Amino acid sequence: MEQTATPNAVASTSLDRTHPTYTYKVVLLGNTSVGKSSLAYRYVKNDFKESLPTVGCSFFTQTLCLEATTIRLEIWDTAGQEKYHSVCHLYYRGAHAALLVYDITSKVSADRAKLWLQELEKEFFHDEIVIALVGNKADLAAEREVTTEEGEEFAQSKSLLYMETSAKSNYQVNELFTAVGRSVVVDECWAAPAQGGAAAGPSRGPAPQRPALAAGRTAPRA
Amino acid sequence: MSLKSERRGIHVDQSELLCKKGCGYYGNPAWQGFCSKCWREEYHKARQKQIQEDWELAERLQREEEEAYASSQSTQGAQSLTFSKFEEKKTNEKTRKVTTVKKFFTASSRAGAKKELQETKTPSPSINRQASIETDRVSKEFIEFLKTYQKPGQDIYKQCKLFLDTMNHKRDLSIEEQSECAQDFYQNVAEKLQTRWKVPPEKVEKAMDQIERYIMTRQYKYVFCPETTDDEKKDLAVQKRIRALHWVTPQMLCVPVNEEIPEVSDMVVKAITDIIEMDSKRVPREKLACITKCSKHIFNAIKITKNEPASADDFLPTLIYIVLKGNPPRLQSNIQYITRFCNPSRLMTGEDGYYFTNLCCAVAFIEKLDAQSLNLSQEDFDRYMSGQTSPKKQESESWSPDTCLGVKQMYKNLDLLSQLNERQERIVSEAKKLEKDLIDWTDGITKEVQDIVEKYPLEIKPKSQALAAIDSENVENDKLPPPLQPQVYAG
Repeated sequence: MEQTATPNAVASTSLDRTHPTYTYKVVLLGNTSVGKSSLAYRYVKNDFKESLPTVGCSFFTQTLCLEATTIRLEIWDTAGQEKYHSVCHLYYRGAHAALLVYDITSKVSADRAKLWLQELEKEFFHDEIVIALVGNKADLAAEREVTTEEGEEFAQSKSLLYMETSAKSNYQVNELFTAVGRSVVVDECWAAPAQGGAAAGPSRGPAPQRPALAAGRTAPRA
Repeated sequence: MSLKSERRGIHVDQSELLCKKGCGYYGNPAWQGFCSKCWREEYHKARQKQIQEDWELAERLQREEEEAYASSQSTQGAQSLTFSKFEEKKTNEKTRKVTTVKKFFTASSRAGAKKELQETKTPSPSINRQASIETDRVSKEFIEFLKTYQKPGQDIYKQCKLFLDTMNHKRDLSIEEQSECAQDFYQNVAEKLQTRWKVPPEKVEKAMDQIERYIMTRQYKYVFCPETTDDEKKDLAVQKRIRALHWVTPQMLCVPVNEEIPEVSDMVVKAITDIIEMDSKRVPREKLACITKCSKHIFNAIKITKNEPASADDFLPTLIYIVLKGNPPRLQSNIQYITRFCNPSRLMTGEDGYYFTNLCCAVAFIEKLDAQSLNLSQEDFDRYMSGQTSPKKQESESWSPDTCLGVKQMYKNLDLLSQLNERQERIVSEAKKLEKDLIDWTDGITKEVQDIVEKYPLEIKPKSQALAAIDSENVENDKLPPPLQPQVYAG
């Protein structure tokens, strides 16, 4: 039905020119070694075999073709070590979506994800940002510490997107980012129906840039 | 004077002491062999020439700007109101320039009293000149660039001029308000480019970059680290903080970079150079480019060390380490300036924005850094912070290869010295022990001897009577017949 982006980077830039593509910022939050980077890496790698990031592996852009529109996801990886927790709020300023990644084999990482959620709730109103709870390393089901039901229940209580993935075996990685992308577009339309019209389509105004603009004015102080 | 030189034993010909111009006065090496009067004349001749050249350049630039503007007028038609305003400003600028030049001449023609005053001022015009040359170059390139945009180009130029004009009137406002103005301006122009002038999207971005470059080169000196803010104080605080943290090692920060690999240390040096270079740029976007360049080098360094692409978990600690090692000048001012005056769409999204955010995180982390975040005990952290000890001494093997050889040697020597010291102390203590042993030994012997002496005291007994009695009993021995004498018989 939908296919994720074009086979290589060159094509994607030419696509940018012909279609008005909106850029959405997605931040990856979660403990170290839950596989944030691998998740993004897997998502981008699968579609862009040739244009792998030659150096960095913490900032990615990926074009995503949805039914009605083409958008660009900008994926920001963040440092998950606990000692950087106090400065990480700088990362998600102006973000459109946040992925709270945890490791299904580690209860601790799931608790950390809940902590991240609290931080996000301080910074954003509920309809300002799309939040997805992601249980990674689904391939290690034998060592599971957090059940699917637990995750699902928590996500539902906070009305988050929920998905279990495996970056290693490429399970539901594309599905995750597509769902997030779609959710961002829908949210944007709900949030600004007066400006862009209710229907998701390329005719929308440059609404996605607004939160970024507003946030840009505040100095990034810790 | 000849007497003086004779006394010193140096022969100087009378003619060498005279002014090079041959006016008959004595010259002075400080004035390159001229007398004070001739030197002033020579010096100002050179100065005037320079001023003349600058003036010509300025005129030429102005002509070009006017030409560009005139062509816009011919296509535009009635815009007389803004144009006259524009002209007025031009003439203002011109007269201002002329008066400054005049001031120069009057000052130079006066002798004596004002000389010192003027000489102390000499460095400043040259700096101003450099800055203004750069500004002129940027303006020229901007005009050239706008020509490729035809009609919208002229409109853009007009908008920028208007903006700079309003900014000039807003110098008294707080920096936040000025920043607000700039941000509004960026947004307005971008919108106009898209909707009114129908510029294709990829050209909008390019135009925005050029506009930012043009206006920020001109605004820089007013809005970078302005006196109304405490940016400078913050700069100094961060600098001091980083200096106090000089002892932090890559191991403490868990930096996944091995500087013993030559390529890696090369990358580290490059990254440090880039982050330091940021301060020298005037345009926010160019500053951002420096950060991005620095980050790329960091990623390379990690990649070479770990043999796999780095993630954010590796990148941030390394960036923190680079900032600590480089101690880039005016860090807070630069961050504040970029935040206030960069085109906001660049800051919150895009690669540049990502790396800038990382830098902000790094600085925030450095400000908050404590014992726990370095996996140290509070006592160790306090000791290192107060400069009492340095952890480097124990870990001298972990020196990076780019450290100055002399410093390395020095630390090696220090190590050796401390080892020598230790040995010497050991020898001294052993010698003392030996001495003590010797003393103990003699004491012991003495004691033993005494004990023995005590145990067996030397008693001189009175002459035994018995013996004497024996002798005395033999009194009659004298009465004994004498012993037989051997006799020789003739036979």
